[in-house]
Amino acid sequence: MTLDPFTTAGLVGLSGALLGIGLFGIVTRRNFILLLVAIEIAINAAVLNFVYFAAFASNPSSGLNGQSAAIVVIGLAATEIAVGLAIVLALNRIRGSINVTEATALKL
Amino acid sequence: MFLQDLASWAFLVPLLMVLSFVLVGFLGPYLKNWREGGWIAVVISGIAMVLGLLIAAGEMLSPGRYTDLHTTWISVPGNGTGVFPNGFSLVMGTLVDPISALMLIVVNVVGFLVLLYSIEYMQHDRGLSRYFAELSLFLAAMNGLILADNLLEFFLFWELVGVCSYFLIGFYYEKPAAASAAKEAFLVTRVGDVLFLLGIFVYFGAYATAGAAGGWAANGFLFVHGTNPYIPIGTGANPTLLTIGGLLILGGAAGKSAQFPLHVWLPDAMEGPTTVSALIHAATMVAAGVYLLAVASLFLGFTAADQFAIVAVGGFTTLFAATMAVVNPDIKRVIAYSTISQLGYMVLAVGAGFTMVGLYHLFTHAFFKALLFLAAGAVIHAVGTQNLFKMGGLRKVMPVTWLAFFVGALSLSGIPPFAGFWSKDDILSSLYGTLGAHPDYWPFFLMAVATVFLTAYYIFRAFFLAFGGDHPRDDSLPHGHDPSWIMKGPLMVLSGLAIFAGVFVFIPGFSNLLPGIGVPPTYTVTDILLSAMSVGLAGLGIGTAYVLWGNGRVFTLPDDSPLQSIRTVLLRRYYIKDAYDAFGQRVIYGIARIADFTDRFVIDGAIHGAERSFAGLNRRMRGIQSGVVLDYTAYVVAGLVVVLVVLLVIAPWLLSMWGGT
Repeated sequence: MTLDPFTTAGLVGLSGALLGIGLFGIVTRRNFILLLVAIEIAINAAVLNFVYFAAFASNPSSGLNGQSAAIVVIGLAATEIAVGLAIVLALNRIRGSINVTEATALKL
Repeated sequence: MFLQDLASWAFLVPLLMVLSFVLVGFLGPYLKNWREGGWIAVVISGIAMVLGLLIAAGEMLSPGRYTDLHTTWISVPGNGTGVFPNGFSLVMGTLVDPISALMLIVVNVVGFLVLLYSIEYMQHDRGLSRYFAELSLFLAAMNGLILADNLLEFFLFWELVGVCSYFLIGFYYEKPAAASAAKEAFLVTRVGDVLFLLGIFVYFGAYATAGAAGGWAANGFLFVHGTNPYIPIGTGANPTLLTIGGLLILGGAAGKSAQFPLHVWLPDAMEGPTTVSALIHAATMVAAGVYLLAVASLFLGFTAADQFAIVAVGGFTTLFAATMAVVNPDIKRVIAYSTISQLGYMVLAVGAGFTMVGLYHLFTHAFFKALLFLAAGAVIHAVGTQNLFKMGGLRKVMPVTWLAFFVGALSLSGIPPFAGFWSKDDILSSLYGTLGAHPDYWPFFLMAVATVFLTAYYIFRAFFLAFGGDHPRDDSLPHGHDPSWIMKGPLMVLSGLAIFAGVFVFIPGFSNLLPGIGVPPTYTVTDILLSAMSVGLAGLGIGTAYVLWGNGRVFTLPDDSPLQSIRTVLLRRYYIKDAYDAFGQRVIYGIARIADFTDRFVIDGAIHGAERSFAGLNRRMRGIQSGVVLDYTAYVVAGLVVVLVVLLVIAPWLLSMWGGT
């Protein structure tokens, strides 16, 4: 397979759009759970890029590097969600709210 | 022989006085009954005096002998190149030679007598142990100075006597005048000390590689080199360097010996106790400058230019200081100006090449000037003032003091057969002998001759004002009386020395201490005529003083006399002190204020400004850390946008601007 400029532009545009949506959500959402969802979307933009460009690698074995990276990132994202949800539960128990703008204790 | 072997033990003389310093300084406050340790100082300095006299006697018995003992302190081997191709070493040691033996007599005899006299003179003062400890330290340093066998050690003790002088001038440190006089003395002599130190550097440079003296630095800058002492090592050195070195040494000597233009400190140094003035500021320390010139002329050598400069400074100071003594109302200051003037004679003699004659005058002057100071001290002790115009009629109540002052005044005036006559006359006739070869010495010879008249006049003016008449001019003064034997004893011994010290030089053994002075001095018709002239001038001075001030008369210049302006100039000390003060207040203080401004506003301002700007930055930056996670993510996104813009827009644009790809 060779790189098709139009398909490439579309996929890069798709991943850019995913990143933009994720960033927009990160900056604007105050609900912790929606914040985590936005982060997942932003991460998936990167994963999509890995997978797509790995498919066009000239050497098939080095294509595996991109796919492995994608899998590692997915694993990391899952781990992060686990930790994030634990924080959500703890935050809910302490403050009775999962609004991130109210959790401002993390400063000097 | 026992006496000759004693020269090896000369180091004990300064060490004894160090012992006295330590004992009196630490134990003195617990020995109230012994004048806070004053008696310890007297006894130890008595031992030191006997030892010094025995060493000097040993020198008298072995003409022209040199005993140099030293230990190497630091030794740096040379590598054949550089400033010191032969390396250099620093040594500490003692050199007993004829002139240092002479100085041993002067310093220790006057030192012992002054310490003894102080026992009574200082009895009502507080801080006696400090006084005696400092005098002991001074005597230790002075003995170290005269026994030093190399230039560096000499400088070390030179500084030590300077600091002792500072301590003792400021003995009454609660008195502002005394505190500021001490500071003035220290600072003015420091100018000379810096010049002296520069002179040492120049001599080091001159002798590092020159001829026979090439090993001078390697030998520790010893005064005595080879077997030919008293022969200058100047051979082969760069004459320009030698001239500069000699002039710098003259600067050092002028500081210590209060020669023009560094003379201002000595009259003010009279704020110290009179005993201190007698020992340090008349007999010994101020003579150290003359001794330095003598040592330098004997061991290092002066060029003709140096000699003329020394003669000029000495000759001018002689007359200059004498004129200021003529009008002064303070008995101690009159004698202080006289000291400057007499030191000028010595400097003049050494400069003209008559080193031994200069030292001869140093020897006699030490005794009659210490006598004059101690007699003045007895007067001050009795009547409680130094103002000559309040005194009067003291002859009847203080006959012994009167006689002592009279002897000292006659000796200072140069009336035969008193000590001062012989040495002063020797200076004048020696100088006269060089006038043929050095016609440029004429003005200084005439100044020296004119000073003979002034000297006799001012000292007898003081004498008549203090002792003449029947009663004090100020009735409120306490009735004077002669002091007890503790003070009278030193006065009598010094009177004897002031009478006879001049003729010591005719004793064959004693003349070995002044090698080459010519014994007995050969008197030609010219010499006798010169002597007659100087004695005549002195007699004229005494006569003038008697007519104007004798028998309780007080001579007052009419207010409209044209001489009044001269009198004002003399009383204001030619405005030289005022000029120095103005220089200090305007120039030095101005520089200090600029430096202060720079320090306070420029340097501190920069530091404090930086500090303030960082504090302000800190206040603003602190607001960023809100603790709200969403703010942080906004910053992250903003940062990302900036990075992207830089990478994708600005960087390619810049590259295209510079023609890159």
